[in-house]
Amino acid sequence: MRDGVVHLVDDDAAVRDSIAFLLESAGYRVTAYADPHAVLAALRAGVRMACLITDVRMPEMDGLQLVRESRALDPELPIIVITGHGDVPLAVEAMKIGAADFIEKPFDDEHLIRALRLALAAAPRGPDDHADIRRRLDQLSAREREVLQGLVDGHPNKVIAWRLNISPRTVEVYRAKAMTKMGAGSFAELVQMAILADLRFAPSLVPRDPEDGG
Amino acid sequence: MRLILPDPTPRLAAPFLRVEGLFRSGRRFWLCLLPTWILVLPCLPRIGLDEVSPYLLLIPSVLLAGALGGGLPGLLATLIGLACAGLGGRVGASPAWQAVIFGGIGLGVSAFGEMFRASRRDVAVNIAAVEAREQRLQSILDTVPDAMVLINGAGEILAFSKTAERLFGYTAAEVRGRNVRMLMPAPYRDSHDGYLDRHARTGEKRIIGVGRIVVAERRDGSTFPIELAVGEVKGQDGSMFTGFIRDLSERQSTEARLQELQAELVHMSRLTALGEMSSALAHELNQPLSAIANYLKGVRRLLEPSAQNPDQGRVQDALDRATEQALRAGEIIRRLRDFVRRGETEQRVESLAKIVEEAGALALVGAKEHGVRVVFQLNADYDTVLTDRVQVQQVLLNLIRNAIEAMAGRPRRELIVSSGPADTTTGGEAMTEVRVLDTGGGLQEPVASQLFQPFLTTKANGLGVGLSICRTIIEAHGGRIWATPNPEGGTVFHFTLRRVTDPEEMPRA
Repeated sequence: MRDGVVHLVDDDAAVRDSIAFLLESAGYRVTAYADPHAVLAALRAGVRMACLITDVRMPEMDGLQLVRESRALDPELPIIVITGHGDVPLAVEAMKIGAADFIEKPFDDEHLIRALRLALAAAPRGPDDHADIRRRLDQLSAREREVLQGLVDGHPNKVIAWRLNISPRTVEVYRAKAMTKMGAGSFAELVQMAILADLRFAPSLVPRDPEDGG
Repeated sequence: MRLILPDPTPRLAAPFLRVEGLFRSGRRFWLCLLPTWILVLPCLPRIGLDEVSPYLLLIPSVLLAGALGGGLPGLLATLIGLACAGLGGRVGASPAWQAVIFGGIGLGVSAFGEMFRASRRDVAVNIAAVEAREQRLQSILDTVPDAMVLINGAGEILAFSKTAERLFGYTAAEVRGRNVRMLMPAPYRDSHDGYLDRHARTGEKRIIGVGRIVVAERRDGSTFPIELAVGEVKGQDGSMFTGFIRDLSERQSTEARLQELQAELVHMSRLTALGEMSSALAHELNQPLSAIANYLKGVRRLLEPSAQNPDQGRVQDALDRATEQALRAGEIIRRLRDFVRRGETEQRVESLAKIVEEAGALALVGAKEHGVRVVFQLNADYDTVLTDRVQVQQVLLNLIRNAIEAMAGRPRRELIVSSGPADTTTGGEAMTEVRVLDTGGGLQEPVASQLFQPFLTTKANGLGVGLSICRTIIEAHGGRIWATPNPEGGTVFHFTLRRVTDPEEMPRA
């Protein structure tokens, strides 16, 4: 049985304290840590965390490693990763290794609490969600899918443009179109949807190596 | 011709020389005989009639021929005289000794005439040489970019070169003979005669042969900086002084422009340095902003009407913390603004500890993610330095960022910023040495030897101007910057700053 407490790790005292305050004001019980090692120690000691919220950038151990190690200790543990702005490739990586959700800083409280509610409900996304997202994914053109795949792989626009042999400007256009069709509010959300909803996406649709292109 | 040189030819000789000109041609010979004929012909009928010796009448013609024509015409006139006297048929009447004396006088006059003529010819040659030399000198003086003014011991202007005319706006004719004071602004104007007097009395040289930067005044009353070099010429009638004047206003404006450009470059590189850090800086600002947003959202939840009894204390506490974070964000922005401001490069007495602390706060943004251990070891006895704070912070920022980059992926990541006495003094001044030590990969050739050269970089996206600008800044501060290997692996960058030893100079905070 999980402890019903949200465990939070962030090295920045102000951010940590403010998230704890926000969650407490929303009625959650929170345990905060400054050091990822303390989280791992708690997990090893048998604490069954209801949910773990972690920052990506931390001096002792980065958030991704914490996700990996804590998933190894508690494979079912729902983890929400908080990233600074512009850390999208990192966040994508976090999703791939099993994070339940990721949130860009500064974030809307509703966004965090919704993510937390879903994580605590132990059903990250209902089948309806998946079906819905897949329906939307099906509306994408082949090019839009290719661009989206490149983005999920964490490549910058320029690299995607080069691989698809189109201009970076065109990549931006496809990206914007994909966002509209998917109903994604942000680029991060777009990537998140793509990862959550379509596991078939993982094998590459796009030649990964330049020599494949001939 | 602006240059006035003393006339080498005595004034009295001038008409004589003009006549001499007539005799320079091939007709000289015959022309010389002309006075002889003029004098002799009217005398011919009288020869033998008078008691007077005929030779006496003929002597003036010999004198004239010799004086004007030289040796040969003199001899010819003598021979003609002898012949005339003989033709007169009355040779017997005048004794032979008279003919001998006449011949002797004729020879002597001819000899002197020849000497006189030779010396006249020498004078003419000398005058031509002097004139040629004077023209050459004049052409040099007209072309040198420096203006030249020649004055006598009383300060009166004797010569005024073309460049001087251009520089001061007077013509040579206007200033000739006037006191050189007119080219100086007050208060120097009134003391110049005193300087000349003192020099005349004591022979003491204050400016002669040294050269000095002084201020001059143009015709329109405007003043301008000049570099003045004075030479002294000792002549028979006292000393003369040559002043060579170089207009510095142009050079100073060029130098000012150069300094401006350099300051601009330094400023641009500060912006570039921050640009490279933009992601880390955005993160740094994002932290307090996120915290503020979280506190406020939380407070809003606590105050919702549905909430039973809002805990006043918690709300106030959260608002206090939010305020604190707003101030934290403001502090980051203040540091940034200070750093990018286009400040005048002004050196002040500053505390090195404060400089390092502030620069470190900026430079170490994002460093904690790299897991770098940072140590400051600042010697309090060497804390007071004379610097432009922002520029030295720029150097520190550059060195610290480089050190952090050099240590990326290394097992040991230690950054030590320390200060202490410099081993060497620069120009006899006490210096403080600052060291930035890292435990990175160290420097390899050929980079190590060309470290401070511009456009040399080992970074994929670097311009290679960072360290060269560091050197520009440190050298402008009268210091030195260099790198040595860290014995424990890595690199130590050293630079020196002027140390201020008098605690009185420290500004009161």
